[in-house]
This record gives sequence, C-alpha cells and structure tokens, in this order.
Amino acid sequence: MRSSKTWVSIFILLVITLHAVPVLNPLLKKRTWPFLDWTMYSKSRPPGPIQAEKRRIIGVTSTGRKEPVTPFLVGLSPFVLRASYEQPMWRGDSSAARQLFMRLNLQREDPFVELRLESETYTVTDTGLTKQKNAVATYQAGPLPSR
Amino acid sequence: MERWIERWNAYWFPETTTLYLSITRIVMVATQLFWFFPKLERHFNLLEKNSEFINPQLLISGIAAIGSRETLFTPSTFTILYWITAVAGVAALVGLVTRISLFVFSLGIWIFVAHAYSYGDRHHPEAVFAIVLLALSLAPAGESLSLDALLRRRALPLIDRVKASVKVDTAMWPLKLAHVLLALTYFSTGMSKLILGGPAWLNGYTLQNYTLGDAVSRDIPLGIWVGQQHRLAIGLSFFTILIETFFFVSLLLPWTAPFIFVGALLFQIGLLVTAGHGFYQHMVLLVLLLFFIRPQWWQAWRNKYVEHSRPSLTASLIRSE
Repeated sequence: MRSSKTWVSIFILLVITLHAVPVLNPLLKKRTWPFLDWTMYSKSRPPGPIQAEKRRIIGVTSTGRKEPVTPFLVGLSPFVLRASYEQPMWRGDSSAARQLFMRLNLQREDPFVELRLESETYTVTDTGLTKQKNAVATYQAGPLPSR
Repeated sequence: MERWIERWNAYWFPETTTLYLSITRIVMVATQLFWFFPKLERHFNLLEKNSEFINPQLLISGIAAIGSRETLFTPSTFTILYWITAVAGVAALVGLVTRISLFVFSLGIWIFVAHAYSYGDRHHPEAVFAIVLLALSLAPAGESLSLDALLRRRALPLIDRVKASVKVDTAMWPLKLAHVLLALTYFSTGMSKLILGGPAWLNGYTLQNYTLGDAVSRDIPLGIWVGQQHRLAIGLSFFTILIETFFFVSLLLPWTAPFIFVGALLFQIGLLVTAGHGFYQHMVLLVLLLFFIRPQWWQAWRNKYVEHSRPSLTASLIRSE
C-alpha cells in the first residue's frame, strides 16, 4: 500500500510539474497537450468603439454554384483557417488565396474558380447595434488575383 | 522532512469509502462516452485533407516515431482505435476489469484529442478532464458500483461480504488532483489577464469587445446583448478575474469550496451562453467536486431535512395502522 502511494505521489508531482513545460519553453508550447499554457483572452482593449466583424468565404465553382468555405471543407480548424488563409487574404495576400484554391480543388470534380470574402461590421452605438456591409474582396483561381 | 510527508499524505490520502470515487468514474466515463466522444468523421477529414501534421502534439509525434504517418495514421487504424476506445469505455462504465479498461479508454481519448490538436490548433476544455480520467485508472475507482466489486463480493463467504466495503486511503486523490489542477489553470488564466492585460482588463471595453466578437461570429443573441452593456461588462470583468485568480482559495480554506465551485460553474455557464465557449468538461468536474470534495454541506442538509422526515413518516405509518 505504501509503495502504491509513492507511485501515486510521483504521478501527482509529475502532472503538476509538467504544466510548467509550455510556460517555460515557448517552442514546445503548442505541442504539449494536455499540459497547456492557460493564457486566454488576456490582452486588454482601451476605451473606444465596441466593434466586431463577421467574416466568411464563399466559393464559386466552375458550374456557377456558390458554396460556403467551411473549416470542414478545408480540413482545418476555424482558427487555423482564419489565421492561415482568411486574414492574409483580407490583407491582400494572393499566395494565401492560391494555397487555399489548391487545398480546396485537390479532389473536386467541380473546382472552385472564385473565392469571395464577405464581411459585416457590427458597432455598438448609443441607439443600439448597427450593422454595416463591407466591400467584397474577390480572388480568381489563377496566378493573379482580381481585387 | 517527515512532517512534510505526513502533511502530504494527510492531504492526498485521507481514509474514505470508494463510493464517491466510483460515482466519479461513472459520471466521467459516461459523459466522455455519450457527450464528448471523438467523432470519427472529423478525424477522417483531417487525415484525408492534410498530408502532414502542422504542430504535432508530442504524444502523436511519439506514436508516429514508432511506425510512420502513412501506416499508423489511416482511417482504418483510427476506426480500430475508435472501437477499442468505445469498448473500453463501456467496460469502464460498468466497472469490468476497471483499471485496465479505464487506462485503455483514457489512452484512446488522449490519442484522439492529441490527433485533433496536431493540425495547428489546440484548445483547453479537454485537458484537465483527460488527466483526471487517466488518474482514475490508477485509483480504486472500480471498488464500488462495478461488476468487478459484484463478482468479488459474490466470491466471498457471506460473513465476509460486510468487510468488502472497508475504507481506503487512495480513493480521494483523483478528485483532489482535479481540484488542484483546476485551481492551477484558473489561476494561470487569471494572472495572465492581470499581467498581460493589466488593470485595463477590468475597464468593461475589453470584455465587451471579446463577447461581441465571439457572439457575432457564433450568432449568440444573449452575447450580442451583453456586448452592448458597458456596466454589466465591468461587473462581469471583476467576476471573471475574481473567480479565476482566487479559485485557489478553495484549496486553502476548504469551507469556501462549495461557494467557489458554484461561482466557477456560473462563470463557465456564462461563458457558454454569451460567447459559446463550451467548457463542458470543466462543468462536469466542478459538479463532481461540489458534491464530493467536501460533502459535509449537502450531508448536513440531507441529515436535517431527509433524515428528520423519516421518523415522522414512520410515526405516521404506525398511527395509520
């Protein structure tokens, strides 16, 4: 019984100590699940307008069909889709668009020929929430984007 | 040194029955099996649409080192793993070969979650729950309310069956570990807000922006409403920092634990209904801790109301006869 308590104590100490690894070693930070760095939503915002943006990517296929480009369709999580493709594309990065076309069209019979980036901005005002549609950004399948 | 070991043992290894631990096993395994069980379709999709890992978790790198991605990370291997995990889960739920089935079940869950988080993204909800699930396999979680216990008791002579439910000193540590890990993780989250965000984290604008951003992208009407309420956001910011940073007080002052667990539960429910953050695993752990880490509060309530009502019920039955 005493030896089992010793092993359990080692296990407890190990589990607690391992939580220090992602904090102390930033290189391993993203690879140590379930021992994680628990920093979440930690940045603060100064006083100012409260705004949020809702973004989506709509794909247009060669037959003219429109289809939302979802994380499942791309095979990535929503966060990775946003960080790796959506945000760079909003900044005008055509190489991100090219890579996304390649990913999407890899096994498709009806390939995507156009990607439309649509968004709305929501702003909190004295009279409530206002919604404003933003200009659509378009990328064509091919070497050059038409923005 | 000996005093420290005594204190350590007194904290982690108090003598209790195995009943609460066994209920914990049933609740955790059942929720993992029927609520948070990995979806094969999601893993097939990841395998099919990614030729390589983006940021492989160390567990996945270790497995890939044994064989290769092409041989081990295939839909057929994952289907086999899925069913092994599911069968082990059912065995752990009913308490059959409990330690081994719990170990296999938690290992399967670890592999599935680690695989899902090997493509450039990882999240927090499953982590503490998965560790505690593994811890259960190292504890006597099958000593009560299990087929193992039933078979063992049947094998005993009648006179010895009473002795079968003795107290042990290894039945509380998994729950205490869950408590310590939650305290550690909440503290880490709260402190990161105070250090990186500073006092401005409490200005209301910060929480309004976060809540509105998540609620708009996830279409959550309550969150969209909260995102417009500045004073409420200031109050909720203070509540968030208080719960996260001072959750550990429940370790130091055990009488505060039930209040802090309820506060943390409300915090998690609030995050879910306003911003869509589904920390369901934390909620399950908090409910278990609320009832089992310091059961005196509900036992006192039960003794006061339930036990007192029994004699009067008996008396009324006697009178009616």
